[in-house]
Amino acid sequence: MRSRLLGLAITLAAAVSGLLALLYPFFLSDLGAGRAAPGQLRAGEMSVLMTLLLGLCVLALLAEAQGHLLSTRLVALLGVLAALNSALRFLETAIPGPGGFSPIFFLIILVGYVFGGRMGFLMGALTLLVSGLVTGGVGPWLPGQMFTAGWVGLSTPLLRPLVRGLQRLWPREAEKRVGFTPELLALTAFAIAWGFLYGGLMNLWEWPFILGPEGQSWQAGLGLWTGVQRYAAYYLVTSLVWDLMAALGNLLLMLAFGPPALRALRRFRQRFVFEYSALILSENSGAPAGGD
Amino acid sequence: MHTWAWLAWLASALAALSATRNPLYLLLGLTCLALVGVGQPRDESHLPSPFSPWKFGLVLVGLAAGFNALTSHYGESILFTIPGKLPLLSGAVTLEALLYGATNGLALAGLLGAFWIFARALPVRALIGLIPRAFYPLATVTAIAVTYLPATLRQFQQIREAQAVRGHALRGLRDWPPLFMPLLVGGLERAMQLAEAMTARGFASLGEQAGLHRQTAPRLALLAGLLLLGAGWMVLLGGWSKPASGLMLGGGAGLILAGLWALGRRYPRSSYRPPRWRGSDTLCVAEALLVLGVTLLPLPGLGAEGLWYTPYPKLALPPFDWRVGVGLLGLLGPLLGQGRSESAK
Repeated sequence: MRSRLLGLAITLAAAVSGLLALLYPFFLSDLGAGRAAPGQLRAGEMSVLMTLLLGLCVLALLAEAQGHLLSTRLVALLGVLAALNSALRFLETAIPGPGGFSPIFFLIILVGYVFGGRMGFLMGALTLLVSGLVTGGVGPWLPGQMFTAGWVGLSTPLLRPLVRGLQRLWPREAEKRVGFTPELLALTAFAIAWGFLYGGLMNLWEWPFILGPEGQSWQAGLGLWTGVQRYAAYYLVTSLVWDLMAALGNLLLMLAFGPPALRALRRFRQRFVFEYSALILSENSGAPAGGD
Repeated sequence: MHTWAWLAWLASALAALSATRNPLYLLLGLTCLALVGVGQPRDESHLPSPFSPWKFGLVLVGLAAGFNALTSHYGESILFTIPGKLPLLSGAVTLEALLYGATNGLALAGLLGAFWIFARALPVRALIGLIPRAFYPLATVTAIAVTYLPATLRQFQQIREAQAVRGHALRGLRDWPPLFMPLLVGGLERAMQLAEAMTARGFASLGEQAGLHRQTAPRLALLAGLLLLGAGWMVLLGGWSKPASGLMLGGGAGLILAGLWALGRRYPRSSYRPPRWRGSDTLCVAEALLVLGVTLLPLPGLGAEGLWYTPYPKLALPPFDWRVGVGLLGLLGPLLGQGRSESAK
């Protein structure tokens, strides 16, 4: 129990610190004021610091999440699934889809949903790491990518109560008439939301460097509300259409592959995730005397 | 070349390219990177690159130059004027803005290129070897994934051919599940076989290792480090006290690293054939130190102030100090080291 609480506290602290690191352009006060070119040099320094901070948060999260890999079955499962998803990313790099379309997120979401948030986090982070290793994509952007893709998987257990609620409200007849289940509906909406969120979070890495019109570009000391307004304008102009393609791609992939992939993962979950314990037989009766 | 020598080279390249916006120095640095990239044979453990980094770099420079020229209307050398009241675009397009954008694009392309060369030149096993000992289970997972990735791509090709023989054609998204589902199910079956083989060979991730990752003291250090990092970051962002934020950030980072060290110290690391440190590696590190020296240190008599060049408000020829130029030639370290080791053979 104490170990679980400690694990939860580490996960929460790493997630919050990492998010604060990513969202620094909104919180930065007037540190850059008084320089000839305010913002530029400071943005560079802050960006390096942000990458380091994010890297440390990813390391702490990985260290905690890997405690979940308690059996060879899970180690092998995660390795093979990460290879499969990295192959999808490799194919995407070789044959680019429209805009920000990427085929990797639907599998990260499904793995997190079926096997739990920590497996989802590891799946997201390791997909980006492995594909980066084999395609030469290792760089300062990698901690941010790993953190955000890991978050996609880590956040999937949030869907479970929502799915349970929807299942209570959703009559069987409606399920047959519409053609898809409340579970698929929730997973699809989640995948669409992450299509926009992933792009929105990753843009924060480069936003302070982009020189643009005053209403869209970053400056130190903007304040939270003005910063959010400017970023929203920047996002609408530069990224909305790009991320729309990512969200549409997630929608289509979830609708096309979601139900069969979910069935397959659940079937294999029964084979991969089980626990066994010794059965102690009583000497006299031959009946089980204990064990858990 | 040794992994640590490559790391020194990478650090020097990143420092040099980040420290200057002088186009002459940037071009010199990029030429060195290009020579190293061309002269470095690709390690066989890497998949063929899906895109050319050189073309990507050119596109990046073009995009950065075009974007800055069209959106930043500063500078005195006006090339042409976009009439009307188009938001963002209308106004003078200047040579200075074009050059400033291209310079930023050059720096960015150089940074990407340095990482690309580093990641392509080292064998994948050396990159996995950089994963700290505390992440032993994850390093195993990464090694499995890297090993299985080519097999997965081959399996995808085989499934596609088998489906094509049955008359399956790829016309739309609906035609993809017959390719993807066998790939997924086949992968899961392989994972099961692999797990059985690992268990049969005594790979014990149960018990002892799980216990190691449940140690309380290192995990408490991780938690305390994360809390200190978060608090220090907020103090820094708020601009309240720079020394206090530095202390908190440093302390937090130290606690996290100490926690990871404590987690990892019980995993001994062995290598079947450990890489040897050669004279060429020492030469490469010395050259990396030379690059770091001329770009980061305020050495007396060195024209390092010309590293930060801006074409605004009117374009002028960027300064060039031959000593800085010679120092930047240290980026050729891996190439020279390679030449030495080949002649030694």
